Amino acid sequence: MTLDVEPWLAESWSADADGRRFTIKLRQGVTFSDGHPFTADDVVFTFRAAYDERTASALHDSMLVAGKPLDVAAVDPHTLTLTFPSAFAPGVRILDNLPIFPKHKLEPMLQAGTLAKAWGLSTPPAEIVGLGPFVLKEYAPGQRIVLDRNPRYWRKAADGGALPYLDRLTLEVIRDQNAELLRLTSGQIDFTYTEVPPESYASVKRAAADGIVRLFDLGVSMDPDSFWFNLKPGAFDGDPRAAWLQKDELRRAISMAVDRRRFSDTVFFGAGEPVYLPVTPANKKWYPSDLAPIAHDPAGAKALLASIGLTDRNGDGTLEDAHGQPVRFTLITQAGRPRLERGAAVVKDELAKIGIAMDVATLDPAAVIDAFFVKKKYEAVYFHAAFSDTDPATTPDFWFSSGGQHFWNMSQPKPATDWEKQIDELMARQIATPDERERKRLFAEVLRVFSAHQPVIYFAAPRVYVAVASRVTNVTPAVYVTPVLWDPDTIAIRH
Amino acid sequence: MSGLTRYIARRVAFALLLVIIVSSAALVLARLAPGDFAASSVGLEARPETIEQTRARLGLNKSIGAQYRDWLASAIRLDFGRSLQYDRPVTELIPERAANTAILSVTALLLATVVGVPLGTIAGSRGRGILPDAIRAVSLVLLSMPPLLTSLFLVFVAARTGWFPIAGMRSAAPVDGGATLDLLHHLVVPSLAIGLPLAAMLERLQAQAVSETIGQPFIVAAIARGVPRSRVLWRDAFKASLRSVAAVYGLVIGTLLSGSFAVEIITAWPGLGSLMLDALRARDVFLVAGCAGTGAVFLGIGTLASDLALAALDPRAREA
Repeated sequence: MTLDVEPWLAESWSADADGRRFTIKLRQGVTFSDGHPFTADDVVFTFRAAYDERTASALHDSMLVAGKPLDVAAVDPHTLTLTFPSAFAPGVRILDNLPIFPKHKLEPMLQAGTLAKAWGLSTPPAEIVGLGPFVLKEYAPGQRIVLDRNPRYWRKAADGGALPYLDRLTLEVIRDQNAELLRLTSGQIDFTYTEVPPESYASVKRAAADGIVRLFDLGVSMDPDSFWFNLKPGAFDGDPRAAWLQKDELRRAISMAVDRRRFSDTVFFGAGEPVYLPVTPANKKWYPSDLAPIAHDPAGAKALLASIGLTDRNGDGTLEDAHGQPVRFTLITQAGRPRLERGAAVVKDELAKIGIAMDVATLDPAAVIDAFFVKKKYEAVYFHAAFSDTDPATTPDFWFSSGGQHFWNMSQPKPATDWEKQIDELMARQIATPDERERKRLFAEVLRVFSAHQPVIYFAAPRVYVAVASRVTNVTPAVYVTPVLWDPDTIAIRH
Repeated sequence: MSGLTRYIARRVAFALLLVIIVSSAALVLARLAPGDFAASSVGLEARPETIEQTRARLGLNKSIGAQYRDWLASAIRLDFGRSLQYDRPVTELIPERAANTAILSVTALLLATVVGVPLGTIAGSRGRGILPDAIRAVSLVLLSMPPLLTSLFLVFVAARTGWFPIAGMRSAAPVDGGATLDLLHHLVVPSLAIGLPLAAMLERLQAQAVSETIGQPFIVAAIARGVPRSRVLWRDAFKASLRSVAAVYGLVIGTLLSGSFAVEIITAWPGLGSLMLDALRARDVFLVAGCAGTGAVFLGIGTLASDLALAALDPRAREA
């Protein structure tokens, strides 16, 4: 997988001189699964649906550039123009996450303002039409999704044969990941939806040695788990710890105190790599090659903490602040994800060595999201928040201080700190510049500022292993959210 | 109104009250728990406005009191609301899952009865010896293993041998022998996981009851009259000692039918227990209330059946 944009439903595209206006040629002869032709009107309709406030679509936010919608117009049935509100270097890459809606089916609902409820989970499968390789056959809530081959799918194999190869794809819902892997390694299912979790590497390797499954080592993951403090100004008003909880020095000290190699070996059973930034070496295009690692330096960490008045004043091994209060905070993390729980335990242990007491509260996913995303009432959190794309310009909400995924202090009216202001300015240029080399240089600069202030601390990322049953062929697993199903067209079964 | 009718009416009224209290408490507690369905379902890319719109669309922006009042008003008309995560009426989702749980429970109960009661009769009728000692030892081991461990062990055995499916209720692809055989095949692991500890419990109860019955004058007299010992044991003592098993039967049925969380999760059995756990995690408040209410209905029916059986056997129980 190259992570470059490939022609698919859009056969070709060209940009005008300032890079803001694109002319897109659509593939001809493509039909929806019900036989209705696919045209530029469907694309225009999809944008209208995404931008309609009444739809309350999660797509709405990812289709904005600098907070403004794109202007999309059909020139003829197979040509459309896309005009960005401001320069946007990734260009048509923004379309990568956009499923195309059939106008002939959904327009009345959009006009009536009921699109949000149009295709619910109780809609009869036959009414749902799309452009993908499979169509919905059956949905049993919480049990399984059955997908049948779409005979009208446009894509053809290299030899001209019809795709997809599979007649039916059944996705079974198995809550327990161990049960899921046991079914895989005993030949009862063909692959799992996500990668093999670290705690199961050994058993899956044995199954691979026995010829039951094929194991793919895809290298280091794109997404390290994130540790951050609540940096919202005033979040700790009235709390004596406000003097130090939000200080740069505390975060930098934590980053230095944790032995990332030990962290990786413990949390990922040796199959991981130390990581210092939100991008990992898996993101080959955007990972800075000249990155200086953050050394494991407990003595340096203690000196940094002493510089903000956190020292062991009574000789009990735990640091105290200027008021003599122990340096103690609570980290929340998600229950049911063993690697997060193990990671929190290693950090707790490493921090205890430099005299910081960290309490770990393990909560339901809904409760963790409620704490940091909705109520914004927490001290520190350790969570898995993955990016949907590898190009930093497509995740402005994380980088910009005004962004909704700027988790440590979300949706700021104006940057709360100088370094966030600096990142805002650098990212604005990074997004607008068409020159790839300049974009890389600017992003490396963003990462340098980010690393100096550590608003989010990263420790390690796992190596990604994917296992499929031996009878599955033509599969191309990738370091991606759905490592096997990202490309279902060519998957085949050997009988 | 006869004593028995009055007794039944009182018990039914109590069971109804229990159902209302349990489902109301489940709804309120699921609402009070931190986090809600809207924020966790729209994804972290969503803006606060999008979350608010979703919350309004799902009715989660109402106060707990208003939401409870609306729910209760519809519940009286047997409308228990819509599941937030499955976007279907709760009354449509629960019957299928309850039926799946019932299939599993009834199989496990049959297994437990067929194995546990005869073994208990054997163990209880003989003081010591290799057979009763072995039965007692196995029962104690099974009793001290929670269903979680039993199911993990059985899943491990099934995975190693490949004799039985590890999880789920049906195969993904059609299999030889038809759907019923496929279902029975899938039932082996979960029904053993629930049934074996239950068999051990019934065995212990029956063994104790038999050993007490066997010392009673009517048994001693029958043996003294020359009636063969095995006939006395399997006809008279067996029947007379069944009462203690019958007394717990209702409770066991009720508890089983409410769904066994651990076994249903480990073996991916699509029953009521796993539905409720999913609903709780997703903060699917109406579904949580529906599942809890259904569990209470089953428990009510179970205890009522058990009380009726006891009342029929022993008139003193009616006054209790």
